[in-house]
Amino acid sequence: MDLIQVNNGSGHVFCPIRMDMCSTTMSNYCTLKLYNHPMAQPSIITHPSMTGDAGESSVRTYIDNTLTTLLHELSLSPSEGQPSVTLRRRTNPAGYKVNPQNGALEAIEPVVSYRTYSWPGNSAFEAWRFTIIVRILSVIDEAIRVGQLISKRRVDPWDIYYIDPAYFRSQHVVDKIVDDLAYTIGVDRAALNIEAAGKGLVTGPFILRRDSQIVLDARSSAQGGHQDTLIPRIQENDEIDIFGARWVLIIEKEAVFHRLARNNYHMTALAGKGILITGKGYPDICTRAFIRRLFDFASNSNRRPPPIYALVDGDPDGISIMSTYKYGSLAHLHENARLAVPGLKYLGIRISDAVRVSDVSEGVLLSLTPRDRRKIHSMLRNSPIWADDGPEPEWRVELQRMLMLNVKAEIETIYERDGGLEAWIDRRMFRQA
Amino acid sequence: MSRQYLAWGSADNAHPVDIFSLAVTDKQVLSASGSPSLKVHSTTEADFPLVQSIEGAHTLGCHHVVTDAKGSRAVSAGFAGDIKVWSCQDGHWSADETFSANLANVRVWAVALAEDGQYLAGVSQDGRVGVWDLGANGAQIRDHETKGSFGTCIDLSPDGRFIASGHENGAVYIFSTETGRMPFSLSGLVKPVRSVAFSPGGKILAAAGDSKVIVLYDTSSGEQIANLSGHAAWVLSLSWSSTGEYLLSSSFDGKAKVWSMDTKMCVATQSETEKAVWSVKWLPKSSRSEAFVTAGANRSLAFYREATGG
Repeated sequence: MDLIQVNNGSGHVFCPIRMDMCSTTMSNYCTLKLYNHPMAQPSIITHPSMTGDAGESSVRTYIDNTLTTLLHELSLSPSEGQPSVTLRRRTNPAGYKVNPQNGALEAIEPVVSYRTYSWPGNSAFEAWRFTIIVRILSVIDEAIRVGQLISKRRVDPWDIYYIDPAYFRSQHVVDKIVDDLAYTIGVDRAALNIEAAGKGLVTGPFILRRDSQIVLDARSSAQGGHQDTLIPRIQENDEIDIFGARWVLIIEKEAVFHRLARNNYHMTALAGKGILITGKGYPDICTRAFIRRLFDFASNSNRRPPPIYALVDGDPDGISIMSTYKYGSLAHLHENARLAVPGLKYLGIRISDAVRVSDVSEGVLLSLTPRDRRKIHSMLRNSPIWADDGPEPEWRVELQRMLMLNVKAEIETIYERDGGLEAWIDRRMFRQA
Repeated sequence: MSRQYLAWGSADNAHPVDIFSLAVTDKQVLSASGSPSLKVHSTTEADFPLVQSIEGAHTLGCHHVVTDAKGSRAVSAGFAGDIKVWSCQDGHWSADETFSANLANVRVWAVALAEDGQYLAGVSQDGRVGVWDLGANGAQIRDHETKGSFGTCIDLSPDGRFIASGHENGAVYIFSTETGRMPFSLSGLVKPVRSVAFSPGGKILAAAGDSKVIVLYDTSSGEQIANLSGHAAWVLSLSWSSTGEYLLSSSFDGKAKVWSMDTKMCVATQSETEKAVWSVKWLPKSSRSEAFVTAGANRSLAFYREATGG
């Protein structure tokens, strides 16, 4: 029998919540009775989000109080308890907008709701939600305690999911509850010590400074053709110095990134030295945070910040990925303000680039799939970014050209051009600089 | 022998994004683009002034607009898959809500309207060719299946006897509107076809696309009459002059060409832009010299007229 390990602030106890209590048959067996903890009440929630030590201490207070109260409730007789946890949640907003102040994709009117999960609840679903909330709380609790003793320890949501995949059902479930818990406590997700491991790669001359110490110096490795520095997780006071870099190129695809890095493009580009970054498809928050910090630091220094370009496939996902870097994602609307990169420029590729290549080599253009066409329709219809009165008419019309010609093209098609991809990027940067 | 066409005027930046389609009447040009509104430009006044903007016609933008010969009806197709019918009175266009509602479930990509405005032909993304009778509440009267390749373009012969459709796989089909049969599946093009156009007499069908060659077919035999070579990029649009003496074509690299049917040679090339010219149309013959209009990725309409030497 699985048991949830819970910390009550002074030691370990075992809370008799069975992992299979989500089934209705087990509800009868349960004797757990709890009531809401005051911290979960709407009136006590702190605003705005706290980060750093203040955030961490409020997380600990919340978890300690919540779990202690739950334990207290256990000791009460079944008729007295109201075992429940209330989460503050963001629900799907009525619509989205691009905030003109910060250039981020945001909800028009953020909708906040409160949802209480009681034990045993009115349904098997509610009982299941209740138990996974408690279980995730215990993981966060452990991560924070261990993190205090040793070093910053981060738990990947995937790791939580893989503790018991059948029980959590999907990583999305874990993700959503972690989000809700952070919002309920009033902290950034990072304060819960739960963040996915970064998957992005970076190469080029930069250093990462933390508390005035250099923790990562990519200058020499960039020289030596070392290609794949994993994008580090950015902490509160980190500084990324890209002195010497004249441009930043964000590349959708890992394979294209490796080609450019292998050819030392970041050191040999016509426009000067630069930074190559890939988020390997849709970027994770870690990659976006790195780019934003890099941009912020470059903007705050006395130098003119280098242009940041996006090199993506000429297909709906390419345009959508570029939009995620520049404006943010629908999945993390509340994070977009701190992650958006408003100055991002569209380097390519466009359908017209690939059409020219198709003159000299076969097979560079692909037909749109029905899924591609549906995706474009949905982008044009549902997002303010590609709206007629939106901020990106050139992106809108590029999507329409794809529909018009029923074609798409991958970045790799440019390999076939005179001078290859590198010469093409040289020309394009020169034209757009 | 080459002919000269002079820049006659333009409607600059008529749309904020690419103009994908043009339709002409005896007094006007309708332009459709990636923005929601259709624009109507007068061809009877100097400077081709904008005389009407039909706001919000297609929320996701519009890729095809066609008119009948009298200029009393227009049909437009939007990127959302929406088909709209418009009627014109005294030069002013308004939505024909009844017909638009009748055609609400019609799923076609390219459209063509018969000269009398009664029949609408369309080809769908899965290659089906349909005909709808606007005289009978938009009832579908023909439904032809092809091999399922994306239907990129369609035309109705001016006499109403034939429909031609062009497809992404290079196929060109001709259907008889009387029998509903398909007499010809035309060979010759292996790459996507972007435009098909019947000559005014209906005897010739011109077809062209990514192969850059314009192929002329005899509509009575299905045989190829000629290949017109000269474009260096995809051919996007074709239009016959009212007499059938000249064929106009445009391409992805910004060129518009005039071809003599007499010599089967290119007699004029216009290259005002390097950007795709999505649509070209001859203006109806008037007392003035022959004239045509082009539009595309440079967002402007450009008008040209034949140099008369006088």
